Amino acid sequence: MHLVDKKVIIELSHLTKQFDDEIVVNDLNLKIYENEFITLLGPSGCGKTTTLRMIGGFEKANTGDIIINGKIFNELPPYARPINTVFQRYALFPHLNVYENVAFGLKNRNDQYLKTFYQIDPTLEKKVYKDILDRKIDESVVEALKLVKLTGFEQRKINQISGGQAQRVALARAIVNRPQILLLDEPLAALDLKLRQNMQYELKEMQKKLGITFIFVTHDQEEAMTMSDRIVVMKDGLVQQMGTPKHIYNEPVNRYVANFIGESNIIPGVYLKKDLVQFMGVKFECTGYTFDNNEAVDVVIRPEDFDVVPLDQAKLVGQVTNSIFKGVHNELTLNADGIELFVNTYENYEVGDAIGLKVDPYEIHLMKVQKDE
Amino acid sequence: MTNYPHATLQEYGYKDYRILQKIYKVLSVVAVILIVLMLYISIIVLAIQSVNSSVSVTNFDSFTLKWYAEMFSVRSLATAIKNTVITSIVATLLATILGTLIAVGIYSYAKKTRQKIMLLNNIPLLNADIVTGVSLMLVFSLLLPIFPYIFGPTTLIMAHLFFTLPYVILSVLPKLKETDPNLMDAALDLGVKPYKALLKVIVPAIMAGIFSGMLLAFTMSVDDFVISYFTTGNGFDNLSIWVYGSIGRRSLTPSVYAFSTLLTLMTLAIMILYQFLMKRGKKHA
Amino acid sequence: MNKEFKVLAKPYIAWLFILAILPIFVMLILSFMFSEGLSFGESYFTFDQFALLGEDSTLSAFGNSMMYATLTTVISLVLGYFVAYNVFKSKFKNKFIVLTIFILPMWSNLLLRTEALGNLMEHNNIMTDLLSQMGIGLSIGIKGSPLAVIIGLVFTYLPFMILPVYTALEKIDYSLEEAALDLGLTNMQKFWKVIFSLSLKGVATGSIMVFLPSMSGFAIPEILGAGNILLIGNVIEQSFRNMDYNFGALLSIVILIFIIGALYVVSKVDKEGETLL
Repeated sequence: MHLVDKKVIIELSHLTKQFDDEIVVNDLNLKIYENEFITLLGPSGCGKTTTLRMIGGFEKANTGDIIINGKIFNELPPYARPINTVFQRYALFPHLNVYENVAFGLKNRNDQYLKTFYQIDPTLEKKVYKDILDRKIDESVVEALKLVKLTGFEQRKINQISGGQAQRVALARAIVNRPQILLLDEPLAALDLKLRQNMQYELKEMQKKLGITFIFVTHDQEEAMTMSDRIVVMKDGLVQQMGTPKHIYNEPVNRYVANFIGESNIIPGVYLKKDLVQFMGVKFECTGYTFDNNEAVDVVIRPEDFDVVPLDQAKLVGQVTNSIFKGVHNELTLNADGIELFVNTYENYEVGDAIGLKVDPYEIHLMKVQKDE
Repeated sequence: MTNYPHATLQEYGYKDYRILQKIYKVLSVVAVILIVLMLYISIIVLAIQSVNSSVSVTNFDSFTLKWYAEMFSVRSLATAIKNTVITSIVATLLATILGTLIAVGIYSYAKKTRQKIMLLNNIPLLNADIVTGVSLMLVFSLLLPIFPYIFGPTTLIMAHLFFTLPYVILSVLPKLKETDPNLMDAALDLGVKPYKALLKVIVPAIMAGIFSGMLLAFTMSVDDFVISYFTTGNGFDNLSIWVYGSIGRRSLTPSVYAFSTLLTLMTLAIMILYQFLMKRGKKHA
Repeated sequence: MNKEFKVLAKPYIAWLFILAILPIFVMLILSFMFSEGLSFGESYFTFDQFALLGEDSTLSAFGNSMMYATLTTVISLVLGYFVAYNVFKSKFKNKFIVLTIFILPMWSNLLLRTEALGNLMEHNNIMTDLLSQMGIGLSIGIKGSPLAVIIGLVFTYLPFMILPVYTALEKIDYSLEEAALDLGLTNMQKFWKVIFSLSLKGVATGSIMVFLPSMSGFAIPEILGAGNILLIGNVIEQSFRNMDYNFGALLSIVILIFIIGALYVVSKVDKEGETLL
């Protein structure tokens, strides 16, 4: 997807939010494009949920602007924004059944809005268009429930459905309003693993089908990687890195991102000259980076990028100190000259085995050393 | 910084009521204060009358504290006050201890049974004072052949217990529900016997409920009139009965206003003290 | 909780049966008989009491009770909900203090308070005296009128409406309000469709807690109505004072029917009694 020629639908400009003495969102700048699935990723307290709530209108920013479709939206209450939200604990109305929950937004809109929404001839008289509206709303609700695979659940009471079903009702309730933007606040957090994985897939499919911009918040990096077109990694209210999952995974820009996304080995090294880096006393070829000669760098190598080779061909040698069977692969911890390395292999090795390692030049990633980490 | 135009409510089909809302907010605050004053007006009058040097209820002579000093010089009032205090304190203590234990017992039942028991428990609460008073009188009367002198402090305390226990139970039960269900198990697991565990583990956890139940019980007991009227014996008057009689005989002494005002102030002081202690406790924690 | 604690509740159940259920039967029996107080020596079975029920004075007392109780409940509901809602929405750090403010008046003796109110309703009273000393002339003379009784009832029982409504409001999950706003509802719509609907439990309980005492009390109508207004509570009190236990019992049974109705409503609406406090 070429982001350059996509339209910007939301722009966050110098957004700051402070609670008491704590700055939760710190001068955030972000452009969100139409129809993209973007995820705000980070641990608890990094400001991702607060940012989401500011976009939705549930919190007011201290400074900065939220610009939607080219207009400043800071002052507008949630009901006037072309945005709908899927809440973390679903917030389904307990006094209404599934159908009524999903229909809630549409049923409470005024006639003028609905006539525009469904493109009904404005010259029709009240009795006629009321009927048409009722029918249309009913159709929308049925369609939304079908989309989330809950056909037949219309009459169920909220306390009679499971967590996964509730999550889908919340989703249906939001998308039935055809918002331009959908906010999702860690909606899958309360589901068990298999269900969560299914929903990740379904959500992604739904987003592509509906053509709505999804802004997703999570602390689970695997989830973010699976579903997103772009990920925004946040920490302490600041954006650490922004980009496609692949880009962030392969080219983390600092230690924090490298550690947050996937597993990694971060080894201090020296960039000797073009395409040559030295770490652990060994020179390695690398490619694609430009640093000053003899500049100190952090070398990032993913555990799965190490190749296990016979000891005589190896550039690095280490002794296995721990081996965990993970089903798909083994996670080995090696001790190589006092440095702890994590290596993923398909073969089994015992504790105490000596292993030889090699790594391809394009799998060596370099990061600028940052003072404050 | 940014030069974008501002979005307006009208664009999205909504009317801008913000000014109206602000006016409404101010009016609401005024209205609430007025209503609260309404509730307090009678106590304010009582307070004023308690410092009125004239016995008259129509004229205010001068400020005096003599009624406070003379509170216990009117024999019948002093006795009535003493009776009220004794009855209410005894009834409250009993209700608190028993009520807590009973609440624990009720909590041990399954949900359906528990709800049925709570239904029974609601009867004293919802029942009209007069029906309760009459009912209790009838039952106690039936016992007259066995206990000929039953009417008096005994029946009074039993009656008070009857209508205060439900309040304690209703205060404690929700707190019990809030406690970690594994708390008891943890104590047992560590070798503590059930009743000891109850005392050392559960009671501290529900302390807030016990305290508020105790407060409610005392409130209900001290103020009761109708039920006490029907269930006390000759001569054992409590404050309300004394007041009722005095109103009828037009012999109300302002000392009773003094007592009432004093009681209100004392309660207020206890509440504030409690709040203060809670805050201190939180700071230390 | 441990199953062995069940035994703690058993005596209480027996206690409730003896003191709450048994009297109902006693009263039922009394209603159908004539007896000298409780001595059954000269008693005989009769329907006489029922005839008394149909008498004008009884019926008008009933009618009055219903009317006053309903009016009081409606007024208390409007005022009480208003107050409870505003407290709920305010960002008071300490709701405990707020609740105390509403309970505090209840600590003063009901009769004294009512008497004080009654005085205020006379033409000359201590407040007018004070005010005139300050140069303001004001007087209201409504004692003895229906208005006085209603005012007295509302002033007394308003806290009984405020507290349950407040409790019910506090229990509403805040995210439900956000969801309503998110879905396009304005604040006004959100109140009626979400908040009010979810607080009905408190409204029901509060209404019962105001209606029942208003209907059956006798102190307030007696003091503020100056004997002009007779409610059913007054009639019952008189009956028992005059040793006419049979009629009194019958009337009590009638009130009990209302109470059982209320119990039924509460059991449907608030099973665990959360808002009854």
